[in-house]
Amino acid sequence: MTDKHPESGNGALESLLRSMETEDLELLDPPEEIWQGIEASIASDREARATVIPLESRRRTARRVLIGVAAALIAAVIGFGAFLTLRDDTGEILATATLAYDPASFDSLGAAAAGGANLVSHDGKLSIDIVDAALPSPGGGADLEVWLILPDDEGNVADLVSLGVVNPTDPESLEVPASHDPSAYFVIDISVEPRDGDASHSGRTILRGPLTSV
Amino acid sequence: MLSYTPDVPTREPESIHNVEKAFARGEEHALRAAYSQHGRLIYTYCRRTLDETRAKDVTQEVFISAWRSQHRFDPAKGTLVGWLVSITKNRIIDEIRAERRHSERRDSRPPAELAARAEIDMIANKLMIADALRSLSDRARQVVMLHYFDDLTHRQIAERLALPLGTVKSDLRRSLLQLRRQLEWDRD
Repeated sequence: MTDKHPESGNGALESLLRSMETEDLELLDPPEEIWQGIEASIASDREARATVIPLESRRRTARRVLIGVAAALIAAVIGFGAFLTLRDDTGEILATATLAYDPASFDSLGAAAAGGANLVSHDGKLSIDIVDAALPSPGGGADLEVWLILPDDEGNVADLVSLGVVNPTDPESLEVPASHDPSAYFVIDISVEPRDGDASHSGRTILRGPLTSV
Repeated sequence: MLSYTPDVPTREPESIHNVEKAFARGEEHALRAAYSQHGRLIYTYCRRTLDETRAKDVTQEVFISAWRSQHRFDPAKGTLVGWLVSITKNRIIDEIRAERRHSERRDSRPPAELAARAEIDMIANKLMIADALRSLSDRARQVVMLHYFDDLTHRQIAERLALPLGTVKSDLRRSLLQLRRQLEWDRD
């Protein structure tokens, strides 16, 4: 039997094979710079993850950690600081933040989380209210903790302060320590903190976002 | 002149399977291995549809984005190369759309070299077949190419390769089955 193209239920595959030529098998070698770019990007992700972990650096020098804030945001907050001085009366929302999850570097527990935060001035005290939040349960033996981060000019963590833990189903108002100016410490961060006796940031951030003036 | 076995290196399916599992587990060495195994295919796909600069950018972005969303890859549901090709296809279409928008703003004429979506799919299919052919034995691949690329009959192939006619037929039948499996065309 010498049939050239037997029909055998492989019509689409056979038709494609017949349309191919030897040149279709030739694959091009990618330039070396492509892998170098991939490697650099992955290394940068790794560095960001690793440097978030020992955030006891809040008492030390800044560590490189990408927090997704651009210099433009920092500039915007300068205006917010001025606003803060003028509007320091009772019960006012001075600034708001949209908190977002970053799949590249955050803890996967935050994948479905969302929320916002308000900076509120009340009786001369400042507090952060977590609002419109869908927060995950941190599981047994862990809490969700809210932090304020002071970024440096490059968007890295220069310092941070804990505001305390929040109930995921009913996040309460958290007082901002008078020693920390939220116009400087303007990035809100929520992390999963195991109850392991270590008060420093676990590195397991689930949501983060910068405050901007209303 | 008829073509014979081209210089197509074969590969170890088992090692590909291991890389896929390690990739899904987020083991970083698997990214390098995945790039070694599939980087040429992805870059070639990009080069056949985009200019060199954008092809380099898209190839890089595909691997970075695949790695960052590696938890979405499930080896039980498909091959890594199939997943990477589908990410690449979407990125190529994005690039071409962006170029179209840009050139429409700049100039009312449509860009000359825009590949249609069907053509982008066709290029992907051919590259996937080229990739799958590497998994065949040298003899089976040679039989497939002589039959489909060079239009030789079973008997002509048998004579050319000094093989029994039955062997040529069974090589072809088995090869098509293996290619279909490899291309996941059996998953419908």
